[in-house]
Amino acid sequence: MAKILILGAGIAGHTAASHLRRKLSKEHEVLVVSPNRNYQWVPSNIWVGIGRMKSESIIFPLEPLYKRKGIGFKQAKVVSFHPEGNATESKPYVLVEYVFGENIATQEKVGYDYLINATGPKLAFELTDGLKPGTNKAYSVCTYDHAEHAWNGLKKLIENVKSTGKSAKIVIGTGHPKATCQGAAFEYILNVEKELVRHGVRDKVALTWLSNEYELGDFGMDGMLLSYGKKTMTSSQMVEMVFADRRIKWILGAGVNKIEDGIVSYENLDGEYKTESFDFAMLIPAFSGHGFKAFNKTNEDITEKLFKGFMIVDADYTAKPYENWSVKDWPETYQNPSYANIFAPGIAFAPPHSISKPRKSKNGTDIFPSPPRTGMPSGITAKIVADNIIDIIKNGSKSLEHKGSMGNMGAACIASAGYGMLKGSGISITTFPIVPDYEKYPTTHGRVLFKTFGDIGLAGHWLKLTLHYAFIYKAKMKPFWWLIPE
Amino acid sequence: MTQKISKSDRWLMFNPIFQMFKYIYLSLKILKIVAGGHGGTKDINKQ
Repeated sequence: MAKILILGAGIAGHTAASHLRRKLSKEHEVLVVSPNRNYQWVPSNIWVGIGRMKSESIIFPLEPLYKRKGIGFKQAKVVSFHPEGNATESKPYVLVEYVFGENIATQEKVGYDYLINATGPKLAFELTDGLKPGTNKAYSVCTYDHAEHAWNGLKKLIENVKSTGKSAKIVIGTGHPKATCQGAAFEYILNVEKELVRHGVRDKVALTWLSNEYELGDFGMDGMLLSYGKKTMTSSQMVEMVFADRRIKWILGAGVNKIEDGIVSYENLDGEYKTESFDFAMLIPAFSGHGFKAFNKTNEDITEKLFKGFMIVDADYTAKPYENWSVKDWPETYQNPSYANIFAPGIAFAPPHSISKPRKSKNGTDIFPSPPRTGMPSGITAKIVADNIIDIIKNGSKSLEHKGSMGNMGAACIASAGYGMLKGSGISITTFPIVPDYEKYPTTHGRVLFKTFGDIGLAGHWLKLTLHYAFIYKAKMKPFWWLIPE
Repeated sequence: MTQKISKSDRWLMFNPIFQMFKYIYLSLKILKIVAGGHGGTKDINKQ
């Protein structure tokens, strides 16, 4: 009998738990520890942030589902990792602290045979001075409650413009020089623009995209060369075309360092310090590791064996110049090299380096996007980890047969560009591979052109809506849920 | 130079009949790409 402990119940953690439970007999225990009581389908947060979807439509409580399916659940947060046990515990364990219920604030040692760390990122708002959702007129859409606050702020602005006739300024983008998840901000700015049109106030509101990207359409993936209809264009040209069409201005290479009431301060790649005023802003914070500590059997600190900000896995972390980066640096099995029974899929693994070219300002500040691992890669890597653990338990496999490097994996980004069954719009972008392989595909910017394409239109909105319902169906583990791919 | 979305392109982008076919086409194409498998890079690139 084996016990698999999964830390986190986001896309990666929940995917791993679902597949493990389905494929392993009941004699094996699957236990999820998460501080969150709800599962949330994060990609739909942007619709909550424009008031077109209620948060109840994108979340559901985990405990009743897990009870029905035979998955254990503890609503608790991780305190520390003990992969060798300690003087009194022979088995490895994780120290957790309950955050809800009658045991709140109680700590417990939770043992395991296999550990999946799917704790995702810490939303590090504190790394940018003054950036706190709902203060200084700045908001976030990273969680459903942040998105609700954002909609309240946006609604007030729209009502104010309508009642006073005064002009307003909206800034949307990244709130830290090394923030990632530009895609979410991109979706949000296009949805906000569409809502401003719907409310008849678009002409009164100036919209500005403020981003740490060197070029539009970088998205933390070094941009893309993609096919668009019969044309071939860069993602930069495509996004520029959309922004020009929607009358959205842009400021690039901006490392945001401070937010005050209605003012964002940033440094650009030329080393200039600038400010931009706003009446409403949505800025994505930096994502960081959770700062977990790890200890060995004799209680010595071994954090560096497990973490490098995020969790260390089978990547090549050797420091080397951008020119020497290779797709082979990226992990394939998400297994910790020091402890073979520990895995970290999704955002929880430490990437070997960024995907976008690193750039410094003239003052030496790093200003470039961190690599994205959200959404589809999170689900795929979690399933790979679950399948390898299943093979080990069922067949005693010594090697890990299931592999999936982001350098040999496709992804689809269906970016909503406006809500509405007949007036909505979406920008459908697929890319293969996610991490460009410049050795294999030297003439097409590291990617397969046929599999890397973009499309704009109403169908994109329908696709995004289909994915919303399909993935919530899948997450609720309804009949034949496993037929829906990650 | 910034490319522009032409009037005919815009008409097609919001034409529900055309977009219905596009929806089916995109669904199948995306499914093929994302469900079309994945693998490692270290062994493959050695071949």
